[in-house]
Amino acid sequence: MVGIVLISHSPGLAEGAAELVGQIAGGARVVAAGGTEDGQLGTSTRRIRDAIAKADQGSGVLLIPDLGSAVLSARSVLADLDEDTSRIVLADAPFIEGAVSAGVVASTGADLAAVLQAAVEARDARKF
Amino acid sequence: MPASSEAARAGGADAATEHTATEHAAREQTATEQAAAEQVVVLPKHLHARPAGQVAQAAARYPDTRIELVADGRTADARSILAVMGLGAVAGSEVRVRATGAEGLAATATVVAILTSAEE
Repeated sequence: MVGIVLISHSPGLAEGAAELVGQIAGGARVVAAGGTEDGQLGTSTRRIRDAIAKADQGSGVLLIPDLGSAVLSARSVLADLDEDTSRIVLADAPFIEGAVSAGVVASTGADLAAVLQAAVEARDARKF
Repeated sequence: MPASSEAARAGGADAATEHTATEHAAREQTATEQAAAEQVVVLPKHLHARPAGQVAQAAARYPDTRIELVADGRTADARSILAVMGLGAVAGSEVRVRATGAEGLAATATVVAILTSAEE
């Protein structure tokens, strides 16, 4: 199953979003990477790396950043990865909607391309 | 999960007049070869995040079948949880489940079972 890493400036936001996706998309593997190493607002490349390792079950990992430096930190982690980076992909998608959409698709055993597409499509979804 | 034959009967009862051709086709084919199936349900609960997620997860089990939900004139691809939630379908409202493809009857029955289950 494709794993999902939610990268947020806020530990609470990342963990809450992961909890929400876990509830809605039963079976999905979603790992939070929120905040700095000392738990403050910000992003941490080490936390992102650890979360990727935890989320990775061999079928790839989708990274969903919240804003700004979450994107930069994720890119920095991807640039430093030794392994085949096509298995770890950064999604340009809304944080919550993208996570829920990707989580549901990942939980069905879909491949990384389909999970990425589900996240990206969330940008165009009307809330009501 | 209801058997496909049950879905065919239920669909016939709900939509016999407007879907005679579809129902006739249902009798001509086995469930797995069924081309299209349709059923209208009245929701016992709001179609919010969790049931919408269950619908999307179930729809993924029928890769060769297009499954749509229609509510209040709006159509959603059952595979998209966001589209299904976006219908804003509330308890008591009608939702039409329409499945076209290799496993239309089975897919319809599966989605209908989720929509009409009382839990949550």
